[in-house]
Amino acid sequence: MLLKVYNLTKSYFKGKLEIPALREVSFELSEGDFISIVGKSGSGKSTLLNLIGGLDTATSGHIYFRNKDLWDMSRTDLAQHRKYSVGMIFQSFNLIASRNAVENITLALTFGGVPRKDRKQIAIGLLSQVGLEHRIYHKPSELSGGEAQRVAIARAMANNPSLILADEPTGNLDSITSNEIIGLLQQLNKEHGITVIMVTHDQENAKRISKKVIRLHDGRIVKDME
Amino acid sequence: MNISDMLILAFANLFRTKLRTFLTVLGVVIGIGALSSMVSFGTGMEKNISDAFKKNDLFTSFTVTAKEIDLEQLSEGNIEDFGKILEKPTTPLTDSILKKIQGIPGVETAFPDILFPSKLKIDEYYETNTNVQAVPAKMGNYQPFNDLLAGEFFKDDSSNSVVIRWETLKRMNLFVQDEEKSVSLTREDSLRGAKIVHPDTLIGKSIQIISKSFKRSGRPVNPLTLVMSSAGDPFNETVTELTICGILKRSDPFTNIRFRGGIIIPTKTAGAIPKLGFSSIWELFDKKQKGTYNSFYIRVNKMENMNFVRKEIEEMEIHAYSVSDQLKEIKRGLIIIDSLLGAIGTVALIIAALGIINTMVMSILERTREIGIMKAIGGSEKEIKLIFFVEAGFIGVIGAIFGLILGWLVTRIANRIINAKLIPQDELPVDLFYFPLWLLLGATAFSILISLAAGLYPAIRAARIDPVKALRHD
Ligand SMILES: Nc1ncnc2c1ncn2[C@@H]1O[C@H](COP(=O)(O)OP(=O)(O)O)[C@@H](O)[C@H]1O
Ligand SMILES: [Mg+2]
Repeated sequence: MLLKVYNLTKSYFKGKLEIPALREVSFELSEGDFISIVGKSGSGKSTLLNLIGGLDTATSGHIYFRNKDLWDMSRTDLAQHRKYSVGMIFQSFNLIASRNAVENITLALTFGGVPRKDRKQIAIGLLSQVGLEHRIYHKPSELSGGEAQRVAIARAMANNPSLILADEPTGNLDSITSNEIIGLLQQLNKEHGITVIMVTHDQENAKRISKKVIRLHDGRIVKDME
Repeated sequence: MNISDMLILAFANLFRTKLRTFLTVLGVVIGIGALSSMVSFGTGMEKNISDAFKKNDLFTSFTVTAKEIDLEQLSEGNIEDFGKILEKPTTPLTDSILKKIQGIPGVETAFPDILFPSKLKIDEYYETNTNVQAVPAKMGNYQPFNDLLAGEFFKDDSSNSVVIRWETLKRMNLFVQDEEKSVSLTREDSLRGAKIVHPDTLIGKSIQIISKSFKRSGRPVNPLTLVMSSAGDPFNETVTELTICGILKRSDPFTNIRFRGGIIIPTKTAGAIPKLGFSSIWELFDKKQKGTYNSFYIRVNKMENMNFVRKEIEEMEIHAYSVSDQLKEIKRGLIIIDSLLGAIGTVALIIAALGIINTMVMSILERTREIGIMKAIGGSEKEIKLIFFVEAGFIGVIGAIFGLILGWLVTRIANRIINAKLIPQDELPVDLFYFPLWLLLGATAFSILISLAAGLYPAIRAARIDPVKALRHD
């Protein structure tokens, strides 16, 4: 068992007003799984991913990653979790605009404690894995959407995570590029055994590519499709 | 992420916004420049005064006087007791007292201050009004008598050699060349017949000392008749021919205390010259006993012996007066000036610190997303905090380096201007500013400290940024 989510609840507070984003969500995930999360906008998909990624903390409930409860982790432990256990990919790529492709990746390697002399080589290796060896010195603004997302995937892979959290990674891409990106994620999943949780709008695709689809509605899991 | 990674990252971040970083650093540069130049003026002052004390041999020498003048009572305006103050019974300074003082262990040398008026003549060059100071040959070993421009101090108390001051020669229209500060003649100087001479040409030259003495010696003189000059000229003039053996360097504004005469001659030689027993006519109004002196100059062999020797002398009911007593008070005053100047500089630095805070808060607002990304890829709060902290420290270091360079340049220029405009041509240039190592290190440390303090709030703020909010795409 790589991941176990149990009774996870998250509410945001606007003053005294409680905005529930996730309600008692539970599911499990084995090593090497590829699952999709679907649901309307505002249904809590990003919230769930952020909680699993350790970017945010739950209101109640538990997330066990390799049997360790994120609830028990200090903020420094959560940073370690983000650094080494998970890699995150976003709809808007979230590359640092002032850094070129290879520098975006070396920053992640720097946080990961990779010695300086090895960083560039590793980064270039990751970029060629995602098919971008010809774009290593391009700034994000000089990359197409698909290329930028490939850089983001390479960065997510930098510190050898076992889980990739992709939050609508194809949301800003045309359908052909989307398929390429999904193909890349599938390849990572198959060839490297990396577990992937992907949030998507595209239900058809979700069913086709993933072992399991979680549907969220108003913060609840409504249908658990195998 | 180690410290060198942080430094590289901080540098890259600062380099990215060059203009803003430049302006922020400029603020620190000006702050440190102001602080260091101001403090360096204070330390320069202190150093100059300390050096002047050393140059004038004041840490190892002092003067004793026959009469105690209670400066404190005088300054309190206690005029009624004025007479009493002056007439406080003290031991007259006689030769036997001098012998006693010379016998005190730790006394290197003691001699009466002998000063008498005379005219001087070298070839056709005259000086009509100067004082001759008699000094034992031994004093040639010590500051400031050993600071010669040319030649050497006389070696024997009865030699017929003299040491003459640069300033005296100038008054005689002999402008002596000096490597330390060039000498030039104005048109007026030339018209007066002044000329520039090489110091070596004066060494070995003969000089006439034309001293005055009373025609009818032994008879009491009414000082008033001298002042009014109504009784005709009561003086004889005696010409003594001596040889110049050395020229004293000109003094700077801080060293002028020990030279009381324009020309220095050996004590025994002075004893043989007929002269008036005073350097100014006003001394005649004093009821000075015959065979007594106004003051003795005493030099101890070690600074540590000063107190002991002074105590011994004071036990003889003789007033010992040392200028070094005042050094403490001068220093206390300088500390006040120092802290005042330092405070002004600190204000400049605090303004610079506000600039740092402003810049960094701005930069954090701009880089909110970037900080969110750094957190998402594993950056811990501590690491983010340190990155911004190092950025602030970097500004402090760069600001300190260039600030000190600026401060130094400013003081060099100021020193030039002050020396050119304010220090008389006849005096040697002084360095009014002083950058001791502690000032360099202290200013650097202070700059880094202030910058880090300024970076503290922005760094904490950066670390607290909620990555979820920062990464929300809108
Ligand atoms: N920081 C926040 N403060 C208040 N409400 C929030 C915050 N983040 C998300 N929400 C709310 O939580 C709910 C779930 O949001 P989200 O997880 O982003 O949905 P999705 O990703 O499925 O579109 C929404 O109603 C959203 O408005
Ligand atoms: Mg979302």
